Amino acid sequence: MIESIQLRIMQGDPIVHDVHHATLPPLFRGMPELHPEKCPDGCKECVNICPTGALQLHPLRIDLGLCVFCPACERSCPEKAIHFTREYHISCSSRNQLIVGGTQSSITPEIASKKIRDYFGKSLKLRQISAGGCNGCELEINATSNVNFDMGRFGIEFVASPRHADGVVITGPLTKTMAQATELCFDAVPAPKVIILVGTCAISGGIFKGSPEIDRTFLGSHSIDLYIPGCPPHPLTFLTGILDWLDRKV
Amino acid sequence: MTSLSVQNQQPFPIDDIPILSVKEFENSVREELLAQARMIGLFGLETTESATTVVAVLGHSSTSAIHLLGTTFTPANNRYRSFADVDPQTHYFECELAENHQIIPEGHPWLRPVRKQTIILANQPYSMYKMEGEEIHEVAVGPIHAGVIEPGHFRFQCHGELVYHLEIILGYQHRGIEKLLLNASPSQQSIICESITGDTVIGHSMAYALAVEALSNTSVSLRTQVFRSLAEELERIAMHLAGLGGIANDVGYAIGSASYGRLRTLAINSTALLCGSRFGRGFIVPGGLQFDPTDEAIEALKVNLHVVQHDVLVINEVMFGSTSVLGRLDHTGTVEKEWAQSIGMVGPAARASGLDVDTRSQFPYGAYKYIHLPLITLSSCDVFARARMRSLEIDESLRFIFDQLENLPSGSVQSEMNAIRANSGVVSLIEGWRGEIAHCAFTDSKGIWKRYRIKDPSFHNWYGLSLALRSEAISDFPLCNKSFDLSYSGHDL
Repeated sequence: MIESIQLRIMQGDPIVHDVHHATLPPLFRGMPELHPEKCPDGCKECVNICPTGALQLHPLRIDLGLCVFCPACERSCPEKAIHFTREYHISCSSRNQLIVGGTQSSITPEIASKKIRDYFGKSLKLRQISAGGCNGCELEINATSNVNFDMGRFGIEFVASPRHADGVVITGPLTKTMAQATELCFDAVPAPKVIILVGTCAISGGIFKGSPEIDRTFLGSHSIDLYIPGCPPHPLTFLTGILDWLDRKV
Repeated sequence: MTSLSVQNQQPFPIDDIPILSVKEFENSVREELLAQARMIGLFGLETTESATTVVAVLGHSSTSAIHLLGTTFTPANNRYRSFADVDPQTHYFECELAENHQIIPEGHPWLRPVRKQTIILANQPYSMYKMEGEEIHEVAVGPIHAGVIEPGHFRFQCHGELVYHLEIILGYQHRGIEKLLLNASPSQQSIICESITGDTVIGHSMAYALAVEALSNTSVSLRTQVFRSLAEELERIAMHLAGLGGIANDVGYAIGSASYGRLRTLAINSTALLCGSRFGRGFIVPGGLQFDPTDEAIEALKVNLHVVQHDVLVINEVMFGSTSVLGRLDHTGTVEKEWAQSIGMVGPAARASGLDVDTRSQFPYGAYKYIHLPLITLSSCDVFARARMRSLEIDESLRFIFDQLENLPSGSVQSEMNAIRANSGVVSLIEGWRGEIAHCAFTDSKGIWKRYRIKDPSFHNWYGLSLALRSEAISDFPLCNKSFDLSYSGHDL
């Protein structure tokens, strides 16, 4: 007993209290800052090297739904027109919002409908479905519930059964072999229900886009409530995305 | 023996692999297995309509030699004698070969699907193993599980609480990685390899980078090598801390789970100091590293790891000193040494069953050629041993990192890449935190991949989990599962 108390004291206060103003490591790659005016004529270095085709030229833009947040474009640019900042507020509620350009410094999702806020504003229970996720997103989602991020304090939790859930969180590019299970799981969630896509693979297929082993029909037939980009998204991106979407002042 | 002998990451011309008759191939592989070889791969190298060339890759840990030999099967002549009677570790490789190429191992004890779930061999439906009798019941779990984890299906045959057999059906995570790699650009290949399994980013990206560097005759600086192994040990520390936290959670020891969880955050944040990603994404690429850690980053890393080193000792002492914890770990999920050996288990799970297997010392690569880590084994073969093994490995990895940080080599972390050799192959073995990762890469006449074969350590160890559950209470399944901590995506590819 004494040892356990000593351990508890040793834990100190590891929690991130202010989830909106945390400082991430200097090299963390979050919201990109783009300077199209620096692009030399005819230069296509970034577009050529991007592994997922996330970059567009004229004007220079990045689709964060395709971006795997690797440093390839930033490193290849001869004029340093691309720089990934440490800004982790990049979740959004429509697919178009993920295509960013210029010096926009962060993304804020549109606030959810009154109905959704009335139902889930104070308590949101989610069922996670990994459909080909590599365990990167899964680990970061698990981390949201640890002693550092402690999402439970906001009333947001992951539950074991879809019957207990208010929505699903999907990770991975949606493999053919998970298509049926994904559909069944979502059907088991009582309405009203939400769909949150976490990670580049879930949002667009990412690096697995075009693989014959992927089946994304489920996404085509349902509307998506929240997109949380990243490879994998930082737990704070997940947390602040949901809080902003539910218009929770913390 | 009739085989090509190479070292880890030593390139060779594909034509040097002896292609034997099926009969000779059977005999030679048997001889190798009887000489204590471990099977690293058995896969189709080239497939045309009329024939499939199959290659066997066998590792001899005592001599650090890797032997390769091949044979050719045709649709009319697609049978060979299964090796599983000499050495059961080959059973799963044979299932995989049958599933992918319709090549049939005669006398195989139990031909099962590997990734296709319900079919095996030309659309023959597969029925899961089923026990019958009064009071026998079946428990089916998954593919979606209660927690936030990857999908897989578990089928238990039980009598009351007691599990007689656990059958594991995987393949839900199959993304077609090996095929995608063949037509991918170099920058895409790096990302694909980082995504084989997102908890072993460093392990798989290093296996890939070393394979490419070997085939292109590119040498990297000592600084690169040291930072790569430093990142690998950091990954090991972080995932072992996560695993210990999971084990503590599964036995209801909340303070242990919370404490390991906090330290794991520190460990992965340390990886982020080196490359920006908490999982080491973007750090290792063929030719070196994408980031040269600054002095400030290294100082911050030291501060973090000192906390980890100090606190983990205290937490270990409390957790492994608690009788209520030990009561759940001791004698639970035992995989006897003979069993572990016979199914070819790898990594910390194998070492916890007393097997001397560690790629870092037996097939040294990168910085491990110059810097040695002790090979630790334990003998109790149970959940306790697997948990304790992970805590011991954390201590060793921390010591390794601190030693390296004392005396970091200087130099560039990027080397000029040469062209990749045509018609060549390489076997690249790495000790990931789960055990032996194998990437076997082969190029065509233009130096482009014609076959890229990946084996995650989970490929061997899933069957170990099945064995651990025999005669165990079904309520101990989560604990046993966590003690193995296997990858679904790494298995499914």
